[in-house]
Amino acid sequence: MKKVLFSIVWVAVGTIGVAGLAAIALHRGEHLNATWFVVAAGCCYLVAYRLYSSFISAKLLALDDTRATPAERRDDGRDFVPTNKWVLLGHHFAAIAGPGPLVGPTLAAQFGYLPGTLWLIVGAVFGGCVQDFIILFCSIRRDGKSLGEMAREEVSKRGGFIAQLAVLAIMIILLGVVALVVVNALKSSPWATFTLAMSIPIALLLGLYLRFLRPGRVLEASAFGVALLVFVVVAGQWVADSPSWARIFTLSGVSLAFAIIIYGFAASALPVWLLLAPRDYLSAFIKVGATFSLAAGILLVHPEIQMPALTRFVDGTGPVFSGRIFPFCFITIACGAVSGFHALISSGTTPKMILRESHARPIGYGAMLMESFVGVMAMVAACSMTPGVFFAINSPASIVGATPEAAASTISGWGFPLSAGTMTGLAHAVGEHTLLNRAGGAPSLAVGMAQIFSSTIGGDRLLGIWYHFAIMFEALFILTVLDAGTRVGRFMVQELGGRVWKPFGRTSWMPGILLSSALIVGAWGYFLYQGVIDPLGGINSLWPLFGIANQLLAAVALVVATTILLKMGRTRWIWVTLVPMAWLITVTMTAGWQKIFHPDPRLGFLSYANAMAAQVAAGKIPVDKIAEAHRLIFNQRLDAVVTAVLALMILVLVVEALVQWTAILARRRVPVLHETPYQRTRWAPGTEGVSAGGDD
Amino acid sequence: MRNVLRRVSKASGNLWQGLRAWCGDSAYESYLRSRAVRSVNCSPLSREEFYVQQLNRRYSRPNRCC
Repeated sequence: MKKVLFSIVWVAVGTIGVAGLAAIALHRGEHLNATWFVVAAGCCYLVAYRLYSSFISAKLLALDDTRATPAERRDDGRDFVPTNKWVLLGHHFAAIAGPGPLVGPTLAAQFGYLPGTLWLIVGAVFGGCVQDFIILFCSIRRDGKSLGEMAREEVSKRGGFIAQLAVLAIMIILLGVVALVVVNALKSSPWATFTLAMSIPIALLLGLYLRFLRPGRVLEASAFGVALLVFVVVAGQWVADSPSWARIFTLSGVSLAFAIIIYGFAASALPVWLLLAPRDYLSAFIKVGATFSLAAGILLVHPEIQMPALTRFVDGTGPVFSGRIFPFCFITIACGAVSGFHALISSGTTPKMILRESHARPIGYGAMLMESFVGVMAMVAACSMTPGVFFAINSPASIVGATPEAAASTISGWGFPLSAGTMTGLAHAVGEHTLLNRAGGAPSLAVGMAQIFSSTIGGDRLLGIWYHFAIMFEALFILTVLDAGTRVGRFMVQELGGRVWKPFGRTSWMPGILLSSALIVGAWGYFLYQGVIDPLGGINSLWPLFGIANQLLAAVALVVATTILLKMGRTRWIWVTLVPMAWLITVTMTAGWQKIFHPDPRLGFLSYANAMAAQVAAGKIPVDKIAEAHRLIFNQRLDAVVTAVLALMILVLVVEALVQWTAILARRRVPVLHETPYQRTRWAPGTEGVSAGGDD
Repeated sequence: MRNVLRRVSKASGNLWQGLRAWCGDSAYESYLRSRAVRSVNCSPLSREEFYVQQLNRRYSRPNRCC
């Protein structure tokens, strides 16, 4: 009886999910309600979690709760800490949820709501969640080893080195791109710039409090910090209204880029307790709070989706970024569906804190489903504003024009009605001088969030406050990724440099700290500067580059996972990792090829460089702009080289893995697994573990 | 009614402990508890030393994602 009831419930959930997807996919004409998105995504996630992750747990991984995890065997109260399942789920989610699932879907909305939403759901269920779950499992079975270490042991030594280099390269590109998103959100906005600038002294104050007054009392310090942040969001309006103060905080893109570069250097070189950690605490609370508030807002307001299911830009002529729906929708969505970066978290802190092997399922698979849901909410927020407004905010001036009149005329010509007054009125309502040409996704997402929040609390009166709260939320946790990433990048550079010259590898040696910080900040700072001066807005070149790098890292993780599963003798079920791996390699290689060689200058790096060089040679560039043109030519060629090197690295790894797989399948090589030997758990079933604090 | 109150109180307590654990507020207490269970002989770190060491370890590896 129980079994029948169980089947009926799951068939019902599945049917509702299919109905939701059908509504999203087939609906035309009248505006669609956002509730369909929530229902479709929620039901699909529930069914996928109940059936697919359960199948992976049982058949593919054979999770074994009698086996002691690293947290039990090596419990030291510091790194290896047996942690309650729900607390660890919270840690893991806070670690993997970054700006990617917010920005990516927002940008991909230029194709319409349908392709992005479908990929967010399908990609997460069959790709992202599988990757996170299996890498977490592999790392648990190897004492919490990192992805690079597992690649070295299980694939080849060269594979490990390639994975390490790929991580560093991806981190540099990632930091440059996310910094560009912040610059485009704060450009010429005294309110937003003031709010974010004030978060630095607030973080310093918290750092001193947590270090000297009440060491480690994170909750009370964070509550105080969040209250101060809310106050500065409100106070930003007074700054924006005061001509003398507004002048100080009105910065150009280049000035903001240099300010962020200096900040990144300081955060990397200063003691971690002073700036980086307290900022991370604030960011974690605001991030979780804002995400849940957005979910609640969408459920309460259930806004109507204004964007069509598919726009005319599926042909690759989009103003936000160029490229056809395949492969660029998948590259742009990136983290909301599949993120290679997650493999670093799944093989970092989390496996060292997990209590039982079976917990890997809700933490590895479940947390990624939550992240995908964040992506769906971002898609809803972006698509619930009128398409004309969306394109006016996200398109560069070189395409739509720099004035409201020009933008309205161009965008209306595309079939998305927009009046100049709408843009002026919206900018005024949110307390900005202009919302035009803010490529990067953050401002349009903030407008969408503000409209949803203000429909719940405060109405139009609070639209400006909500907009700047959303900008602060996005910028704050982007900067957290930036400073934490810069510091980790610094350690990687020191580790690599230490192989050449020993003192450089000492993480406490001040000249080494300064030099490695300068190197890593200089590297991502270069990409940032390149994006800021790019007439196409920077995002057009850099976001796809980041997406390609990120998805290639996911392919690396799936290559490692497939190799381990083959060695475990799970050949029958190998398609679980093989199919998403093959898909990711196809998508990234196609995108990489097009970004390098496509004849359209808006898409291909080399054709853009060549077109620009031809203009210089023909004397069509004014004399005072020639130096800038040469810089642009160099940058485009550099981007082409970076893309090619990344693709080449991954191809080498794939070939190495293929050689190994063939040898295993042909029984020419005895597969050797590098798992930690089985040790029976000493804990009785039902042990909850300490509600240990650790990495958040 | 008393049962309901007891359950609510227990759930709130668990939620509070979970929140403290999630944000790292109770990390030092867990560290001391773990030492007691393992019967470690050397003297424990002070709260301040533990806090700084924990942060230095945490921010030396990828712990925030894109």
